[in-house]
Amino acid sequence: MKIFQVALGILAAIGGFVDIGDLVFNVSAGATFGYQLLWVVVIGVVGIIVYSEMCGRVAAISGKAVFDAVRERLGFKVGLMALVSAQVVNLMTLTAEIGGVAICLQLLSGLPYRSLIVIAGIAIAIVVWVTSFDWIERIFGYGGLCLLVFAVAAVKLDPIWSQVGHGFVPGMQTQNPTLYAYFVIGLLGAALTPYEVYFYSSGGVEEQWGPKDLGLNKANAMIGYGLGGFLSLALMIVGGSLFLVKGIEPEFLGSIALGAEVPLGQIGLLLAIVGILFAVSGAAIDTLFSGAYNLAQFLGWEWGRYRAQTGAPRFTVTWLVLLVLALGAVMTGVDPVQLTEFAVIFSAVALPLTYIPILLVANDRSYMREYVNGRLANTLGLIYLLVIVVVALAAVPLLVLTNVGQG
Amino acid sequence: MKRWAALGLLAFVFAGCNGGTVDRHALKRDSEKVTSLATEGELLANDISKGASTKDFARVHAQELAGAASDFATSLAKRPTVAGIELKVRKLSRLAAKVSRELDQLHLHPTDRGAAASLKRPLLADADAASKLAK
Repeated sequence: MKIFQVALGILAAIGGFVDIGDLVFNVSAGATFGYQLLWVVVIGVVGIIVYSEMCGRVAAISGKAVFDAVRERLGFKVGLMALVSAQVVNLMTLTAEIGGVAICLQLLSGLPYRSLIVIAGIAIAIVVWVTSFDWIERIFGYGGLCLLVFAVAAVKLDPIWSQVGHGFVPGMQTQNPTLYAYFVIGLLGAALTPYEVYFYSSGGVEEQWGPKDLGLNKANAMIGYGLGGFLSLALMIVGGSLFLVKGIEPEFLGSIALGAEVPLGQIGLLLAIVGILFAVSGAAIDTLFSGAYNLAQFLGWEWGRYRAQTGAPRFTVTWLVLLVLALGAVMTGVDPVQLTEFAVIFSAVALPLTYIPILLVANDRSYMREYVNGRLANTLGLIYLLVIVVVALAAVPLLVLTNVGQG
Repeated sequence: MKRWAALGLLAFVFAGCNGGTVDRHALKRDSEKVTSLATEGELLANDISKGASTKDFARVHAQELAGAASDFATSLAKRPTVAGIELKVRKLSRLAAKVSRELDQLHLHPTDRGAAASLKRPLLADADAASKLAK
């Protein structure tokens, strides 16, 4: 039964790595540059594993989640800035994910999109209200594994494997280096998106991890995010093998599902849509909880899904308000796919405010005792901090220069 | 001052997303988009003709693609152009409208394998014609 204990990592990774934005971003990267950007996924995966392991360890040893650390280490003013930026990006992402859930339901049922938005919102509220944290992890984490159909599709599309292999070596063979850089930044931003670590570290506290769970934390981070990265690679290979060859620029969730339908027929299509449905629903729940976790932790409220709704009333009200706000936003007709692309880029700007406090706390012996970062964790942590700062500085200029990735 | 700079930045970004004068670069991009929509429509038509798709997916996705093609048709029909490319831009608009109509047929008859098979060739021809306008 040990395998079921990595559900937190799988949900955080499925919801964080292959949410609606990543699905389109990864396939678009493949459709635009073939396999050239596979190396970026690997760098992103290692980065998120390093920082997730770190914040999971902090949660297990100190019982503190990310925004506890943000408030303590950055002070009120800078911490408030981090909170506001995190909440704005969370709300944008939540809006996009709810739209994504409605699109998937529409692709499965053919019912009107707007009605499905309402159904999606009510369904998410009921699931979050009545289902325990453990079961939320299992249902959406393991349901999202249907996305493995894209790995089968990638193989079935018969890519040139030597070219796939070259994709793991950084290099640039393009006449549009600015667009290439935009995709690099976007893929890194998507891999390291902050709500993954908000959710993951708070999930560790929800599960009441202690020092004995440090091995489980490592397994969660490595297996969960490793799997998320594997799915990202598969999606990019599908993009390169099918859409690049045909000259298609995939811009809809339906286009992504078509990537499984073409090589595998109806069964591939259905598995792809169901997998996407679970992944975007999981991402919606990740972001919904993250928003409530962040505010509650920053303001020192009682929080946690492991408590009864009445045991953490302000936490409960916060996620309900966030859900209503996101439903209102998606009902305006905003395109979920475009919105999430903006969310990914804007979240990249906020990355340092999330990751610096984690690195500081993980090195604080008064919190972590003998479990402080070792040399490897610190070296990787610092290298990735540099990467994060570059991503944060370059994100918005590249968004403007490439006209939101349109070239 | 910072607020105005931010607003200017956003205006610049969104101006690039839609509207404005069509120059050669925009014509190339829009031609590639129409090519993409027609090619994706052909892939979908091919799957429908083989019975490899589902009714609801085919209906909904064809409608999405048709809507995007229709948006291009409407926008390219009236946007001003730089000198020397207006004929190409209007031709692309008509082509996008044709692609939209063909995709609408898939939307309306998502289980009609014969109709889907008959749409494959015209969609491919449209994709080819749009890609020539990109050059």
